[in-house]
Amino acid sequence: MKLWKRFARNRAALVGLAVLIAVIVLALAAPLLYPGGPWRMVQRPFLPPMGVDGLYLGTDTLGRDVAAGIVYGARVSLLVGLVSTLVALCIGVPLGAVAGFYGGWTDEGAMRFTEFFQTIPNFALAIVLVAILQPTLGSITLAIAIVSWPPVARLVRAEVMSLRKREFVDAAHLAGLSRPRILISQVLPNAVSPIIVMASLMVATAILLESSLAFLGLGDPNAMSWGYMIGAARTVIRSAWWLSFFPGIAIIITVLALNLIGEGLNDALNPNLERAGKP
Amino acid sequence: MVILTAILSRLAKAILTLLAIAVLNFFLIHAAPGDPAAVLAGEAGAADPQFIAQLRERFGLDQPFHVQLWTYVSNVLTLDLGYSFRQDAPVSQLIADRLPATLLLTATAFVISLTLGTAFGVLAASQRGRPADSLITTFALLFYATPLYWAALMAILVFSVQLGWLPGFGFETVGGGYGGLERVLDVARHLVLPALTLGLFFMAVYMRLTRSSMLEVAQMDFVKTARAKGLRGSVIQRRHILRNALLPVVTLAGLQAGQLVGGAVLTETVFAWPGIGRLMFESLEARDYNTILGVFIVSAAMVILFNIATDLIYRLIDPRIGAKA
Amino acid sequence: MKLKITTALATALLAQGAFAQEQGGRLDVVVQPEPPSLMLGLVQNGPTQMIAGEIYEGLLRYDTDLNPMPGLAESWEISEDGMSYTFTLHEGVLWHDGEPFTSADVKFSADVFLRETHPRLRASLEYVESIETPDDRTVIFNLSEPFGPFISVFEVGTMPMIPAHIYEGTDFANNDANNTPIGTGAFKFESWERGSFIHLVANEDYYIDDLPHLDEIYYRVIPDAASRAVAFETGEVDVLPGGSVENWDVARLSEGDNACVTSEGWEFFAPHAWMWLNNREGPTSDVRFRQAVMYAMDRQFMVDVVWNGFGKVATGPVSSSTNFYTDDVTQYEYDPDRARELLEEMGYDGAPVRLLPLPYGETWQRWAEAVRQNLQEVGINTEIEATDVAGWNEATAQWDYDIAFTYLYQYGDPALGVSRTYTMDQIERGSPWNNVEGYENPELDEKWAAAAGTADTEERQRLYTEIQQELVDDVPVAWLQELDFPTIYNCNVQNLVTTGIGLNDGLRDAWIEE
Repeated sequence: MKLWKRFARNRAALVGLAVLIAVIVLALAAPLLYPGGPWRMVQRPFLPPMGVDGLYLGTDTLGRDVAAGIVYGARVSLLVGLVSTLVALCIGVPLGAVAGFYGGWTDEGAMRFTEFFQTIPNFALAIVLVAILQPTLGSITLAIAIVSWPPVARLVRAEVMSLRKREFVDAAHLAGLSRPRILISQVLPNAVSPIIVMASLMVATAILLESSLAFLGLGDPNAMSWGYMIGAARTVIRSAWWLSFFPGIAIIITVLALNLIGEGLNDALNPNLERAGKP
Repeated sequence: MVILTAILSRLAKAILTLLAIAVLNFFLIHAAPGDPAAVLAGEAGAADPQFIAQLRERFGLDQPFHVQLWTYVSNVLTLDLGYSFRQDAPVSQLIADRLPATLLLTATAFVISLTLGTAFGVLAASQRGRPADSLITTFALLFYATPLYWAALMAILVFSVQLGWLPGFGFETVGGGYGGLERVLDVARHLVLPALTLGLFFMAVYMRLTRSSMLEVAQMDFVKTARAKGLRGSVIQRRHILRNALLPVVTLAGLQAGQLVGGAVLTETVFAWPGIGRLMFESLEARDYNTILGVFIVSAAMVILFNIATDLIYRLIDPRIGAKA
Repeated sequence: MKLKITTALATALLAQGAFAQEQGGRLDVVVQPEPPSLMLGLVQNGPTQMIAGEIYEGLLRYDTDLNPMPGLAESWEISEDGMSYTFTLHEGVLWHDGEPFTSADVKFSADVFLRETHPRLRASLEYVESIETPDDRTVIFNLSEPFGPFISVFEVGTMPMIPAHIYEGTDFANNDANNTPIGTGAFKFESWERGSFIHLVANEDYYIDDLPHLDEIYYRVIPDAASRAVAFETGEVDVLPGGSVENWDVARLSEGDNACVTSEGWEFFAPHAWMWLNNREGPTSDVRFRQAVMYAMDRQFMVDVVWNGFGKVATGPVSSSTNFYTDDVTQYEYDPDRARELLEEMGYDGAPVRLLPLPYGETWQRWAEAVRQNLQEVGINTEIEATDVAGWNEATAQWDYDIAFTYLYQYGDPALGVSRTYTMDQIERGSPWNNVEGYENPELDEKWAAAAGTADTEERQRLYTEIQQELVDDVPVAWLQELDFPTIYNCNVQNLVTTGIGLNDGLRDAWIEE
């Protein structure tokens, strides 16, 4: 409860949370709102927003409802953002934890590996991975996860390194707990807060990354996504601005909400930093 | 001397890293469906198996995989990036042709984002809680959340199409026959929109980082001491806080300067900027193996170079680090 | 029957446009994508043909009705039995490096160079028994058996003339001269700024006086379709060749001040689009399923909306602008109910069907989406597979697909551009341009062979009509439409498109009105 209070003190974070919940609700309700799916050609192409009843955001190049696309696109963005972040955590957390906890050669090896991945240009690597695996939701998620885990590993390593010298770890040692047990049951739980903060920001970055890939034509062709909509509308941007404008706004709002929530979480979970970082 | 050996050992590591990148990407790219011969044959609109076999032989694709890998790695070791059969030119030449454009774009974007970002960051920190701070923080958040390619499209729509102030694509006016200063100005005009949109996101990043770093350092003991000594606020800001607050900014800048080269793919695509980001994307679609690998190696080398440079700058700003190493 | 056509006809043709041409000026043309090379003998993809077609020349050119016109050959003669073709070359033709062009170059090009490097021509050269060069200006092609469409193989993209003095006895593919192409054409290669532009300049020594009219041509590389449209609007480029902007933009741009549009200049190619249906396995191996696909699609909607009204619905395998076309075949109107009936009759169980779009940009992607929607509406469980050029090529060439988009050129004659898709000797894994669907019909194969092996036009028409009727009932592939790639250009540019291959060889006659 204290946590929530601290979180709620940050107005912007509350707004962000409300927006995110709204986006999630829309995404979940998509099949109820638009039972025909996002690909259905419902009207004449290139109808401007508010032009025809029920088509608030207009129609696209094939006469599909832009609003339906936005709603279904939310599912893809959120899904890819969330799952890829989870996968990245699954790679980064164990690697960073082991490196930081055991130190020595383990640390050296793990960090070389991490550095190696940070040396390859991120976005370029993601493009190559998706192109090789052929774009599907799975391959896109995997590619995003692969390029976004190194910062997690570094963060977790740093946290674990500072935690392993604390008294409660020594106490656990004396109590006869094995080293892996100590890592999992004593050290990691104390490193959770910064990981959560980072994860919330990673979801935002992943959404941007997914949309960038889709914009370049590397999206799943069977899943309507915001980046795809902008990419598809790019060529008609002058005659039909709304086709790229609304999905862009949808991305900005969602990413902004996630960032605000991340900051709120940061304030709530790291009260010391909060005083310094926030007015 | 210490610095010198440190640099040498880093360079040695860098070479190993680059080789590893070459090998990894070699595997990755060869795992993609289709090969350059198939693409060329596909585009020819007509091809019999004899034609494709000829192409494969010419490209050396009829060799066993490990032979191809070995040939490539040994070439790279002698600083030979190979030949692009697709474009009928040595890869090093293709990259040398394209790299200046990318460097110009990213360097400009980098300078813009770093100077404006830190400046606004400092301003926001010193105006903490006042309207200027809120305004700057809000804009930073907004830029941070805006997809780069979307901002680029909107910029073209507004400044090029609607207002007609700036060219919306390309590197320079082709066949304009400009020389000297005229040409510089012409390129500069073409540079404005891509550099700004590319710089926008990073500006937001630096601004946020500078601001929070400034505020954090301001809480530290040595600043309090300085205040207690009765130093003027502006002196403290400049000499004590800013200097220390810049450390994380430099770290991040070093990391990102290298990534910018690879990250320019989107900007280069939207603005038709003839850089290596686009070269990579086109080569990928054409399965131009050697060119993609070349771009990867060169841009990874840039990342490493920037990291080493960052270390050096770090030492300059904060002499303590040298002692630790 | 003896055909003798001389320069008189050509002069007459030229005279039509011969009033007050203005000399000089620069033309900016968009090229998309950037060609891999300009050596037309080695590379024949679209962008290469467009640019290199101004540098190199063929023996003949073809008007928009596909009648042959003089090129490097000023006249030609076909023997009555259709077994020998005699060409008289233009006098005083020089290569761009100053060497004279002679019959030896023709023999070298056709007999040595292109036989090795040009897969499409190679098939036609099978019929050539020998090439004689009695003197510097005479070339005789002797055939081993009559080959109806032989007069159509002398276009620049099909049989470009290659300089023997540069290539003879060398490793063609690795010749240094490949980067500085030397031809006989009205324009010379000047420079190539990769990623940016290719610059050609007028050939001062061109063998026809006053040609070319233009001083120079810049082919501009602008990788983004929207940017290409902007470039035209701001006047930075004068010509947008077919396919260089999305169709939605064609309609919009053509309304602009001083913007002209023409659909001409593609007759020789007659690009014909269809979907490969895998005849070997899966639901597509059932003829009822294939017919259902035809009935399920609203092809007129696709022409109207996806292609913005450019193009027309294809009735069968042969394009209406290709010789020997007939519309006397079964018509597949949009009839989803009929499609559902057929599916039920065959007992389609809802097995998933993969749909492979052609990775050539937004229009093709939208097209695949429209087809998927149509197929899903009659109950065909369709999923689009994402792909790029290499992936598409691999999947079709290796027969790993259910339904796949494609389009092919017809080169003026069913024997050159159509039969390759349907005869059994064209079934060979590894190429995406042959009988990829795996259609087998020995009876029709005989008719295809008979139609190609005679010079009798009436007999050919009779055979081709029968072939088209039977094919349309069998639906080996799902024909979509005859593509129309309109060229948009600044109206000040005159005489831009005068031949059946349009921009590929037409700029020598173009001029700019000030």
